[in-house]
Amino acid sequence: MTSASQTVTRPAAMRGVCRSLLLTLPIALWTALMFSRVFLMPGRAMHIAAVVAAVFTVFLFFKMMQTGETHRWRRWFFAAVGWIFPVGFIASLIQLRGSMDIPIERMIGGDTPFCFMVTPMLMIPAALGKTLIFPGSILPTASNPHSIAVMIGLWLALSIVLGKGWCAYGCFFGGIEEGFAAFAKRPRIRKFDPRLRMIPWAVLLFVVLLSAAIYEPVYCMWLCPFKAVTEFPAVRSVETALQFVVFVALFAGLVVVLPFLTKKRTQCAFFCPFGAFQSIFNKVNIFEIRVNREKCKDCNVCSTVCPTQAISRESAKEGGALMNCMKCGACVDACKSKAAVWHIKGTGVDVKPERARLMFLYGAWAVATMFGGSILANGIATILHFMHVS
Amino acid sequence: MAAAGFTGGVAEALILGLSTGPVCLAACGPAVTPWLLTQPRGVRQHTWQLALFLAARLAAYLVFACLVWAAGSALLRAWSGRSWVTGAVDLLLALVLVFYAAGWRGFHWRLWRPKQELVRIGESPRLLRGGALALGFLTGVNLCPPFVVAGVQAAGLESLTRALLFFLLFFVGTSVWFVPFVLLGFLRRSENLLLVARITAVLLACWYGYFGVSILLERILYD
Repeated sequence: MTSASQTVTRPAAMRGVCRSLLLTLPIALWTALMFSRVFLMPGRAMHIAAVVAAVFTVFLFFKMMQTGETHRWRRWFFAAVGWIFPVGFIASLIQLRGSMDIPIERMIGGDTPFCFMVTPMLMIPAALGKTLIFPGSILPTASNPHSIAVMIGLWLALSIVLGKGWCAYGCFFGGIEEGFAAFAKRPRIRKFDPRLRMIPWAVLLFVVLLSAAIYEPVYCMWLCPFKAVTEFPAVRSVETALQFVVFVALFAGLVVVLPFLTKKRTQCAFFCPFGAFQSIFNKVNIFEIRVNREKCKDCNVCSTVCPTQAISRESAKEGGALMNCMKCGACVDACKSKAAVWHIKGTGVDVKPERARLMFLYGAWAVATMFGGSILANGIATILHFMHVS
Repeated sequence: MAAAGFTGGVAEALILGLSTGPVCLAACGPAVTPWLLTQPRGVRQHTWQLALFLAARLAAYLVFACLVWAAGSALLRAWSGRSWVTGAVDLLLALVLVFYAAGWRGFHWRLWRPKQELVRIGESPRLLRGGALALGFLTGVNLCPPFVVAGVQAAGLESLTRALLFFLLFFVGTSVWFVPFVLLGFLRRSENLLLVARITAVLLACWYGYFGVSILLERILYD
């Protein structure tokens, strides 16, 4: 009897592995293409780092295909990228300038790399005053290929393809708090006022209006928690000291302590203005998470596990996630009745959800590899350099 | 000859207003947008509110025109005096924004209260008028760069009437840029939008408050 069932399951398992390998093949090829540039760089550390990062990336996608779970494996990648990003970034800053702070004259001179967070703040000054309020070159130059035009073009294309999925697959800042959230075994704080979800919109309106009024990217100068682990204006006055205190306090509170206590991405859910801005792109993106009302048992587990409070009991009853859903897949993985599903707009809620997931994941993982892959490789190479592997 | 000079002055004031209008729009946007969003929906309602706001702004312009004409442009060139005004105006703006964001009525803070009470705040006509007039006047006397340029021009004119006319036309030129604010009346009012507007107003009040206090402290410490 046992041997008979084994003979039935073994080929089935083998078929599952082969199918998963086949589905992983496009991502493996894409990863090889993305990392080919790294292999051209000199140094053994960089080559080892590239191999480790590429294998890690492809392996996680394979596990996604094999297990059918998304969030569990995505979170490993995302947290690794988030945690390793400051390592590589700070090391390169120390190498270039000797410290993490940047004097204001060098900032104005365009030494700060363009950050996608600035995008919403650029719009009104550009429209009204034909001025870009972020220092840097508009078109690519030999010394700076990541110009403002290139980065905004790239961001726009990715936002249309992924919607707010950018926040779960592309934004390396989100990975830092995802890592801290994963550390806690269970949440110490479980209840949230649903109105807290509105704060990112208010912060967005605040930074957009004020940046237009004072011609300065207000979020970067005053509110970005990630300045604490990247670069920040050199402390030379009471004002810059105050800015530094705000950066550190926001980072400690929203990115370290609260994610640990709540097991949520609190900065993303309750503060990030760029996340709110990205939510708008969910309206034009074709992928979404739906709740099949015929299967739903109203257990509310989807709302409990969502890292950004993007699905509520009410929205589940209405058949889907809220506008700020970042398509991490946590609710789909956790739903035992298979009511929460991946979905392509314009189709029925029960039409091949696995195919919708696959179509979304190819795009999302390609973006994740493109951005996160090089960050991972750089970070690992930096650590290897510290270990005297060169 | 005099007629040509007069026509030239009119054109100059209008063109100055029209060309610097985007700066005025950007400078006043942070105060006006969240406040208008807390008002009940409707283009007519918003037009009326904006008209009151602009009337108060015109009053501020004309008072300022009288002052600069009487005192001369030296008043504007003295940075110390200007920064006292800017600091005080920013602090007052912060207070007005907090007042309207929190819905101070009967000494109860209602920023985080249930929805019925939040909506009711916007329905009191006296409070509506007060908000429009206070914000209009305060943003009017806020010494933004185009306003200072207009002040310097007006201070050099030969009569008070011409100075007032100059500011009136400058006001007309800048006010054209405020018309798009009426479109906010089309936005569907929901509890969420009200909450966003109110939190934004509090954040902006913090900014204006910080800016006002830091300017005043700087003056107190260094004068």
